[in-house]
Amino acid sequence: MRDTEQGLIAHIRDNSARLAAACTACGECYRACPMVPRTPALSNTTPETVMTGIRDILRDGAGTPDAIAFAGACVRSGECTPACPEKLDAAFLMRLASLRVRGTLGDAPRVKAPHDPRWSARVKAFARLTMNEEERAEWL
Amino acid sequence: MAVTPDANVTFWYGCNMTRHGEIVRLVTHILEAVGVAAAPAGGPGYCCGSTQEANARIAAGMAARTVEKFNQAGRDTVVTWCPSCHMNMDDLMAPVTETAFETQHITQLLAARAERLRPLLTHPVHARVLLHAHHGFHGRVPVNTDVPTLLRMIPGLTVLDHPLRIPGHMCSAIAPKPGVMAQAHSDTLEAMSDIGADTLVTIFHSCHRDAVALERGRTIRVVNWIHLLAEGMGLPHTDEYKHWRNAEDPRASIGTDRIAAAGDAAFEQLVEPELRRAPTI
Repeated sequence: MRDTEQGLIAHIRDNSARLAAACTACGECYRACPMVPRTPALSNTTPETVMTGIRDILRDGAGTPDAIAFAGACVRSGECTPACPEKLDAAFLMRLASLRVRGTLGDAPRVKAPHDPRWSARVKAFARLTMNEEERAEWL
Repeated sequence: MAVTPDANVTFWYGCNMTRHGEIVRLVTHILEAVGVAAAPAGGPGYCCGSTQEANARIAAGMAARTVEKFNQAGRDTVVTWCPSCHMNMDDLMAPVTETAFETQHITQLLAARAERLRPLLTHPVHARVLLHAHHGFHGRVPVNTDVPTLLRMIPGLTVLDHPLRIPGHMCSAIAPKPGVMAQAHSDTLEAMSDIGADTLVTIFHSCHRDAVALERGRTIRVVNWIHLLAEGMGLPHTDEYKHWRNAEDPRASIGTDRIAAAGDAAFEQLVEPELRRAPTI
């Protein structure tokens, strides 16, 4: 395993543990999230239950279906951070949970993450249309 | 009159901004005009890792390579455009790979140099605009206040206030969520109608590339905030992506020679389906 991979994994694990320990699962972040009413999978649960499951995900647990759905629904609106009574960076907490359910640490993905396998080729194809040869040589 | 630069930065425009080469060019010109020499850098070779975030090995490798290239460039500031890149640098890249530079968003840099920009905005732009504002990223960088502040320096322009905020940090985040983008666009059109706006101003590229299709069949204009600053400064430009996206025949709009130069197979497989995609609403 390369140093950079080890470094990223350690960074995700360390901050997951730190934020899971500080989170009280009060659910204020969940209540503030604009994606909750837009996510049908979250229609029959409670904020406290979901956030208890999020803490479990951050602690290497399997998480609950509700918590996995909430982590998968995160689009980084950031409304959670000012809502947190513990003054945690709740947006980063949710980002870490979101990375974990997408399988970043090597686990089987628990949510389907959008992925464009031809992203790099697409970006370069557009560059050939909108940038001249000199610009591409210098800017890409 | 040429301005002697007092700052030398890397302008990290991200990856998907290659659809909008004119914005990269305009940002560079605007920065030069306010005393900042900017070297653009972006595309897959400068990826923040977010495109491969489901795999720590690949994401970490791409992120570290990008940080190392910025370190080697020797400029003390990396000016970001993309909110994903900016947040990834703060949250996942810099904490893992040591950086020899500070990161600043383009809106922060221009807001800090607003008094150098103000006298350059001499061309009136007569429009009543609504900002396409998301909830996200504003908590990190105050884009939803800095952009209107900058736009209000353009003579003739009226920036209208509306409380509408769209979920996510930019539209690429909500695009995969069923119905969310369509609702966002519907809410946006309703907000424009409510306040009498004739122009929608996007902040980010992923929002722009979908919002431009709202012009079809409507008497509204969709522009990026950089396009408006450029208009105010009298910098000529064309939003080609918007023309292509809204053209009845994108191939004819672009032209055979340019498509051939870009690679016909690549155009057909990678570009054309996006340009011909039906509008969200």
